[in-house]
Amino acid sequence: MAINFKKKKTVQPVEGNETGTMNIETQGLSQGQIIRKKFFAHKPAVIGLIFMIVFAIFVYSASGIHLGTDTAKFTIKGWWKYSHEDLLPPGLCAAGCPTADHPFGQIPNGRDYFALVMRGSEISLMVMVVIGFLGGLIGTVMGAVSGFFGGIVDAVMMRFTDFIITVPSILIGAVIGYNVGNLGVFALAVFLGLFAWTGLARLVRGEFLSLREREFVDAARVAGASNRRIIFKHILPNSVGVIIVSTTLLLSGSILLETGLSFLGFGVQAPDVSLGSLINEYQGEFGLSPWLFWWPGVLIVLIALSINFMGDGLRDAFDPRQKRQIKRKDFMAKTSTRDAVNKR
Amino acid sequence: MAELIKTLNLDVPPPARYFLWLSKALGIFIGKPDFGNTAILRLPVIDQIAAAIPMTIRLVTIATLLAIILGITFGVLSALRQYSRLDYTLTFLSFLLFSLPIFWVAVLLKEYMAIEFNDFLANPTIDFIWNLCASALLAVIIAGFVSGTRKRVAITWGVSFATFGILFFLASVTHWFRTPSLGIFGVAILGVATSIGLANVFAGLSNRKAVFAGLTSVGIGVLMYYPFGILANESTNYSMLASFAVLVVVVSYFVGFLFTKVDRGPVIRVSMLSAFFVALYTLGDKFMQAWVPYYKLSDGRPIQTMGSYNIILDSNDFWVINLDLLTHIILPTAALTLISFAGYLRYSRASLLEVLSMDYIRTARAKGMPERDVILRHALRNAMLPLTTLIAFDIAGIVGGAIITESVFGWRGMGSLANEAIQSQDLNLLMGTFSITAFLAVMATLAADLIYSTLDPRIRIRK
Repeated sequence: MAINFKKKKTVQPVEGNETGTMNIETQGLSQGQIIRKKFFAHKPAVIGLIFMIVFAIFVYSASGIHLGTDTAKFTIKGWWKYSHEDLLPPGLCAAGCPTADHPFGQIPNGRDYFALVMRGSEISLMVMVVIGFLGGLIGTVMGAVSGFFGGIVDAVMMRFTDFIITVPSILIGAVIGYNVGNLGVFALAVFLGLFAWTGLARLVRGEFLSLREREFVDAARVAGASNRRIIFKHILPNSVGVIIVSTTLLLSGSILLETGLSFLGFGVQAPDVSLGSLINEYQGEFGLSPWLFWWPGVLIVLIALSINFMGDGLRDAFDPRQKRQIKRKDFMAKTSTRDAVNKR
Repeated sequence: MAELIKTLNLDVPPPARYFLWLSKALGIFIGKPDFGNTAILRLPVIDQIAAAIPMTIRLVTIATLLAIILGITFGVLSALRQYSRLDYTLTFLSFLLFSLPIFWVAVLLKEYMAIEFNDFLANPTIDFIWNLCASALLAVIIAGFVSGTRKRVAITWGVSFATFGILFFLASVTHWFRTPSLGIFGVAILGVATSIGLANVFAGLSNRKAVFAGLTSVGIGVLMYYPFGILANESTNYSMLASFAVLVVVVSYFVGFLFTKVDRGPVIRVSMLSAFFVALYTLGDKFMQAWVPYYKLSDGRPIQTMGSYNIILDSNDFWVINLDLLTHIILPTAALTLISFAGYLRYSRASLLEVLSMDYIRTARAKGMPERDVILRHALRNAMLPLTTLIAFDIAGIVGGAIITESVFGWRGMGSLANEAIQSQDLNLLMGTFSITAFLAVMATLAADLIYSTLDPRIRIRK
């Protein structure tokens, strides 16, 4: 998560005037429109986005909304007929195989696995969003302050960041999970989020370091803008690409972190379930009832994959050097129009 | 009770106790750290860590090396064929691998690569449908690497499909998976094929000297097959293998050296790599010979899912003992490799693409340099520089972070030590593992910076 593996894709060196093509594609569009257009042209990213929206609505409507503590519960029942806490009579076959009534099968003590998986997805999604939000927020603030002010502030904050980075996040997570796991899922998510910001902070700091040397910042300062105004009105909008892209990638990292911790037993504690703890609980049943193992795993992969694709699409969209990928088929057509433009 | 208070320094206030701990732990800089004793058994923490580190290093080294080699190879291929089918497939694959939870992969590997494979070994015949599907799939993968017209791709697919089909059929008929061996002919055929392939990549088949140097190395290697077979008996040891390795390096270097006078680099590279692969095949053949006794010793379940070695293995044979280590390490290594592979693939692809768009590459092409030299000598070397940083981070990360893999596969390395420490609230043990992991991470980063500045003269550490 900390390392930005996927560096910007470079533009394929095609001969011809690059700015010429840029003008045709983006003529008369605002920055936001260009980014939106590029993002929606990135098919995997759009598929990922649609999947995430549909999946989130599906999960939350199926299992209902559960808020509050054990004493003051606030729940809205979902459309699925069973709750993850219902003890049901065992199904037709001993191994709890999937039936029309229980599409994902049943676990050995009779509970409906579909309800359990939905509940687990709900919790995993919630933890993911909380970690991503907190990590993104703290990372942006830390990076912005440290990059903008520089000097001793920068030195102190970045050494602190390095200090946290040296210990692998899963180890920190395990210690946190062991100590606050019994406080409930939300507390766990918050505490994990408090340690998830390091990679983002470094990226944002780098962005701020280079942006604060630019002329428009000098111009703003000469015009009498305060530090706060320069940060929020001048630099932050210019680094929003980096922030959004890395927060997206942080999200996919967090779901893997949370499910991994829950798998080890340090994350979400019983009676709550997460996709990771479901895998941990039923990995032994693989031989007899493999569906108990497959469903949560496939869902984790699908969630992480869609988010990664969204991140890739966003990166391409925010990168001004990135043009839309040219397919082989259209290549000839493209080059001929470009030639026409260049001749003009 | 009083004694316990005394030994644990419970009469000292906690902040001061921390400095007591720190003063001993800082011994790490003079090579004598003391992290105290574990909570229950009162064993020195440092001994526990010293026992765990070699396990982790064994696991991490092999996995990282494999991931680097495979990742760079496929990343370079992907970059050179940008926007091709292969590139899209590899990109999708890397995204998929990024999204895989390692614990899930590990359980799947256990199920399909160990349990099912062991079941298969009980009756190692491949049925016809299975053979067709597997060959077709493998042929699709091979054909994916070929560029060019549809006809060429189709021919490659057909040839590989037939080859794999026949090989699977022969393996099934001869029960090869139960009694595997390559034999001198197998080693020779594989060696020649590898050598020609290497020559094609590194020097081009028109460079006859490279081809012949490679083939000579293969020839010497094949001639050494029987002498090595006799020398390497059950009382072989690591120093003997090491001296063989030195011999292989020296001989193959001289073969390459003698074959040409100008532009020795590619020729020597081809010759040395050919020799390396022949040595690898010979070694593999030797392990295959140990497979039959090992199969019996392991009660017909040779691929192991738990632990790092078989405690009750009843054998003094060097090859059987090492085969045992191999069958234990293969699954966790596969899991770790799959996960880090994606990172190297994406990174080397992006890095090479960036370098390929540089002006000096255009210059090299413009002055009429062959494309192979442009890629290998100008682009690749510069593109691979930033990987040193990634490698350092990766190694540092896995040393402390293989906690999931180690717990699934029952290895007693740093990860499971940390796991145990957290479970049993053992603060000394936990702080010990944290400190060592962090120390290694810092050292790895420092080493990366130093290596980087040596490799890349443009970067100088500020005086």
